[in-house]
Amino acid sequence: MVEQMIKVKSLAKIFGNQPALEDVHFEVNKGETFGFLGPSGSGKTTTIKILTGQLKATSGEAYVFDQPAALLNKPQYRKKFGVVTDNSDLYDRLSIYDNLKLFCDLYDVPAKRINDVLEMVNLGNEQKKIVSKLSKGMKQRVQLARAFLHEPELLFLDEPTSALDPANSKHIHDGLRELTKKGTTIFLTTHDMHEAEILCDRVAFLHKGKIQLLDEPKKLRRQFSDASLQVLLKDGRELSIPGGPEGAQALYDYMQADQVVSIHTNEPTLGDIFVEMTGRELV
Amino acid sequence: MTFSMKRVAAIFNKDLKDLSRNMYVSTSILIPLVLAAIYGRMADELSIDTYYLVINLAFTMTATFIQCAIIAEEKEKNTLRGLMLSPATVVEVFIGKSLVAFSLTALTIIVSCLFMEYNPENIVLVAVGMIVSTLFYLALGTLFGLLARTVVEASVIIMPVVFLLGFGSLIESFIDKYPFLRVAEYLPNLQIIDLASKVQAGSGLADVWPHLGIMIIWFLLTSLITIVVFKKKEIDV
Repeated sequence: MVEQMIKVKSLAKIFGNQPALEDVHFEVNKGETFGFLGPSGSGKTTTIKILTGQLKATSGEAYVFDQPAALLNKPQYRKKFGVVTDNSDLYDRLSIYDNLKLFCDLYDVPAKRINDVLEMVNLGNEQKKIVSKLSKGMKQRVQLARAFLHEPELLFLDEPTSALDPANSKHIHDGLRELTKKGTTIFLTTHDMHEAEILCDRVAFLHKGKIQLLDEPKKLRRQFSDASLQVLLKDGRELSIPGGPEGAQALYDYMQADQVVSIHTNEPTLGDIFVEMTGRELV
Repeated sequence: MTFSMKRVAAIFNKDLKDLSRNMYVSTSILIPLVLAAIYGRMADELSIDTYYLVINLAFTMTATFIQCAIIAEEKEKNTLRGLMLSPATVVEVFIGKSLVAFSLTALTIIVSCLFMEYNPENIVLVAVGMIVSTLFYLALGTLFGLLARTVVEASVIIMPVVFLLGFGSLIESFIDKYPFLRVAEYLPNLQIIDLASKVQAGSGLADVWPHLGIMIIWFLLTSLITIVVFKKKEIDV
C-alpha cells in the first residue's frame, strides 16, 4: 500500500468574508512530486501555510506525516520537512556561507554539507559572497540550498524557480530529481506549466480556492486531446487532421503522395488545459 | 525536543555577526558611553542619580532598543519565520536573540561605570538589581519588537520608553508639585535608583528586597504580556 505523506479532506480557509480555499481534497504519496498549480491568489501559498502549521484552517482536515498539520509547528517535526516560499528571506548582511552555517547548526547538519547543497544550486564558488550583493535569482538558489541542507523527507516549494533563467532552472530541476530519487516527497506550487510537466508525477489545478482537476500530466493531456494531428505539407499548407479512420486515410494519402514535411500531435499543454477549465491564463 | 545550547549559540553568533555590520542599531550603544565619558570628567564623584541617568539610558538604548530592532528586522525581512520553522524552539530563538542584547548591555554598563568611576558599596546586590533590570528591559524590547513591523517603526515606538524609563528620574523632581506622579516611583528605573541609593548608604539585602521584588514583578508582567502577544501573532488565524 502506498504511504501517504499528506492527506487533505474538505479543507477550507476564509479570510474575513473572502474564501481562500473551499472544500479541497487531495493526497500526496511518499516519494511523489505533486504539483499544485494555479494563478496568483488561487490559494497555493495558503495551502502550504496550513500544511506547515503556520496557519489555521477554517474547517476540514489536513494531515502531514499522519499527524494533524498544526503539529508541524512543533519542533520535533521540523527536521522532517523544508519550506521555500517566495517570501522566506535571508540575512542580507551575512555571507552565503554564514546564512547556511546558521541552519546547519539549527538542524545539526555538518558544515561540509554546505558545499554539496551549493553545488546542487550552481553556487559552489560563491560561498563568501554577501547576500545583499546577490541577484534575485541567486538569492532564490540560496533559499533552495538552505531547504536542501537537512535532506528533508518532505519539501514544500512555493514557486521555486520564478526568478531563475532557464539554465539555472534546469540545474534546480536536476537537483530536485536527485532528491526524489533519494525518496524526498515534493509539494510544488508553480504557475510554470513547463516546470510542472517535467517534474510532477501528478498535478492539481487550483482555481478560486477549489481543485478543478487532479491527475498525472500525461493522463490530463490525453483526456483533453481531440486525437487530431497537425500536418505540414510541402506546398506550405498546415492541416489539422482529425483522429479516426477518416483522418488516417487522409494522412495515408498525403504520405503516399510524398507531400508531408512534419506531423505533430495536437495534445494540449497543461497551460491549455488550465485555460480551457478556468477561462483564464496562469499569471 | 530538548533544549539545545548549540542552537542558542548558533542564533547568538549569527545575531552578533549581523549586528556588527548594522551601524544603524549598533551605534545606539555609543550614546550612554559618550554621556558616561562626559559625566566622568565633570566631577570627582557623581550623585547616584547621575550614575543611573546613564545606566538607565544604557538599559533603554541597548537592552530595549537593540532587542526591539533585532526582532523587528527579522519580522520585516521574513527571516523570523525561517527560524520558527527550524528545529529551534521558541525559547531557544528568544534566548539566543536576547543574549546579544544582554551581553552588549552588560558591556555598556560596565564601561560606563568605569568612565564614571562608579564603585557600589555592595557590588553583588547592585549587580543582581542590574541583571533583573536588564531582563525587564529585554522583555520590553521583545514586546515592542513583536509589535513593530519594521526597524524604522521600532525606533519610533521605542522613543516614549527612552523618555519615560531612560530619563525617567527627572519625573521625581515634579512629584512634590504633582502628587499623582508618585505612582512613577514604582517604575523599574526609579526602583533601581532607590536600590542603589540604599546600598550606597550601607543597606543589605533585607532593605533592598522590596525594590528587587517590584523589579521582578515588572519583568514577569512584561514577559507575560510578551508571551500573550507572541501567541496571538505566532499563527495567523
